Amino acid sequence: MSWRSAVRLSGVAFQELSLQAIFAFRQGNLPPTGPADRLARKARVRVLQSKAIISAVLALLAVGGAVALRASPRIVASGIVPAGLPPGAFTAGVLTGLLSLDIAFLWWTGLQILPTFLASGVLPVLEPLPIDDRTLRRTAGLLYLRLFDLPAATVLVATPLFVGLAGGLWAGLAIVPGTIAAVVFALALALLTGRFFVRRVQGARGGGGSVVVRWAYLVLWVVPAFSMFAFVTAAPAFFRALTAIATSGPSLAGGLLFATFPFALAALPAVVAEGTAGFSFPDGGLVLLGAAAGYLALAGWAWVWTMGSVRSFGLAPPLVPAPARPARFRLASHGAAYAVLAKDLRIASRTPGYAFLLLLPVLDATVIGLFTLVFASGASAALALALGAVTTAALLATFFGPAFFAIEVNAYAYGRTLPLPDRSIVLGKLALVLALYVVAAGLVLGFTLVKVFAPTVFVAFVAAELPAVAAAGLFEFGVLFRRARRRGLPIVNLYAGAWTALLVSVPGLLLAGAPILLFHELSASSMALGLAGMGGLALVECAACAPIALGRGMR
Amino acid sequence: MAQTSSVDPRVPLAIEGLSIVYGERRAVDALSLSVRPGEIYGLLGSNGAGKSSTIKAIVGLVRPAAGRVRVFGTDPWIDGLAAKARIGYVPETSLLYEALTPREFLEFVASVRGLPADAVSERLRTYAAAFRLDDEMEEPILTLSNGTRQKVLLLAALLHQPPLLVLDEPLHSLDPRSVRIVKELLARYVADGARGVLFSTHTMEVAQQLCGRVGILDHGVLRAEGSLAALRERSARGDASLEEVFLRLTEEEASVAEAVRSLERPADS
Repeated sequence: MSWRSAVRLSGVAFQELSLQAIFAFRQGNLPPTGPADRLARKARVRVLQSKAIISAVLALLAVGGAVALRASPRIVASGIVPAGLPPGAFTAGVLTGLLSLDIAFLWWTGLQILPTFLASGVLPVLEPLPIDDRTLRRTAGLLYLRLFDLPAATVLVATPLFVGLAGGLWAGLAIVPGTIAAVVFALALALLTGRFFVRRVQGARGGGGSVVVRWAYLVLWVVPAFSMFAFVTAAPAFFRALTAIATSGPSLAGGLLFATFPFALAALPAVVAEGTAGFSFPDGGLVLLGAAAGYLALAGWAWVWTMGSVRSFGLAPPLVPAPARPARFRLASHGAAYAVLAKDLRIASRTPGYAFLLLLPVLDATVIGLFTLVFASGASAALALALGAVTTAALLATFFGPAFFAIEVNAYAYGRTLPLPDRSIVLGKLALVLALYVVAAGLVLGFTLVKVFAPTVFVAFVAAELPAVAAAGLFEFGVLFRRARRRGLPIVNLYAGAWTALLVSVPGLLLAGAPILLFHELSASSMALGLAGMGGLALVECAACAPIALGRGMR
Repeated sequence: MAQTSSVDPRVPLAIEGLSIVYGERRAVDALSLSVRPGEIYGLLGSNGAGKSSTIKAIVGLVRPAAGRVRVFGTDPWIDGLAAKARIGYVPETSLLYEALTPREFLEFVASVRGLPADAVSERLRTYAAAFRLDDEMEEPILTLSNGTRQKVLLLAALLHQPPLLVLDEPLHSLDPRSVRIVKELLARYVADGARGVLFSTHTMEVAQQLCGRVGILDHGVLRAEGSLAALRERSARGDASLEEVFLRLTEEEASVAEAVRSLERPADS
């Protein structure tokens, strides 16, 4: 068989993957009424919509990078970056950030959709067919590429295009190796980490000690997503360090920076434009070009490895530890809402895509809390940072609410045969959102109290925002639940549910954010007035949204 | 055929004029049957006959296009929570939360059903020992064999000792030992004269051994219903096995013979 067969087979397999991602038949969901070709078309369109949303974010990143390059004199003049930063180093720094964000976003996307890729079972279906090994390997590789096709193409086209528009033709061409390497490394990292975590975490046994190990693995899973936030947060410090290195002449730190990925490739447009003189580091050219060539060779190897490994990844079962001695087990029985909460946490502990959604607000709060502890100078600065951290936690907890809903539909069909009231499901999931917010806020409080012992305002702020977080959760779950019930459409993963998730997440963000905006307006004149206004608005929102999730039409 | 219009709350299951439609296809057409107290009712039929669709309408997964279903007098499409509380369901495919272990899954089911922890733990230990599931209670369901998943589903269905068991091909992945246990368990389960079991299967031998009455579904229509003796009489084959009765009543005898003859012919003739 040939590449042509592999392309055809991967197309058929991707259609099946799309159907499973959207309709989750393997989880027992029944097909909606209608002709099969219409369902197939609907699945294709929905997956395409989700890819388009992800691609739009990547295109925006490229536009943002280009705007920063065009505005570099104004940015330097404004003091956002240190005044002594040479233009070449600035360009390399911006493009380093852009490539880092591209890798992180593609890597994160891969991790989110890999569980669905495995659960769809499309590769095991092909395996017993009389297809030679090479074609099966190629088919698996192409199927994997189809998961990323539009987002990857966006990075490969939009980045050189916008960099070219900002910096000229040669700059646009010089960033091409960097974008290729970024895409290849992201795909390889997603597969490598996905294989490790899916096998280790999904196969992990239940019970006390195992839970800790699973969550420890899952913290690592969050790294690519967190790196997106981390880079934005750390950008000023990065440019300060870059200025110091670029202006200090040859040094070990400079050599290391030139040899580091993605800087080595991100610096190529600047080197093409003005040589390494722009870095005040004349001997760095050799290091930089050597490193760039090395990374491209590594990308070539990563490409071959990725294309050859997808097949084994698609077939490999989770690693199962040796059977333990049977313990005398006992079931704990709780209320239905608590059961939903406990089930979701347990599923998340073996489902990295969902664990990420739980860990992100908590880790974000931890990092900002540590930042407060180390860098904030004075009580007012510390308080401002702490309130900012709580705001982020509130927005992150509510923005990802729809994904918590998604966990329910992992076995939606079976859940529907149980006497489980809709309201219990909603309350269980709302408890999860509120718990995330409270845990994240508690972490920030802990760090802030070490620096400034002034808990009253902070606790009042957290408490005033709590009903707004509840309102956002109630709104999102209410809309999603009614929609799923009416249309029988499960929301299973990033690709299947991106559009629907966006549909409710944006109003959810507004609900969670409005009281905070009001606080900032009113607290300028009086802190007490700000807190009172914020709490009042949050309570009104909560009262208005409660009927959506708990009112008529919900059992 | 049982054309019952009874809403007697003691009757485990009463189906009247049930029709199920998927788009253009009518999967079940005006089906009426009942499961009496103390009875194991076997629902037989070829692939696509409408058995699983009927069962899904009973447990609240498929909305009927027409007709009514009553579980101890309660319509699952009007008072779903009350009806579902009285049903223990084993689906034909293993619809489980795969990221949970059997213990975690059963704990979820027990909590949703509001079962007391001590009693349900004791009951579960007994069942788990009988089905030799102890070793797998802390393994993720994702890693379990189909047979073990089927046992977990059986345990989940039996956990609350429901007055109506609805079992869709419950034996298809089980080992012979477990099959024997399930058959014995079901026979004893209805011995109190109040509970009922609806049991769908392709395996005529099992239905013959286990079921007081059987209904034969063919293309969504109930072709015949009754005890094995009554069906033998109706098919005019006094000593026939249930398989022979099934083929005669579904008018498939001739097509089976023709299919076998066609397989004997060389492919290129």
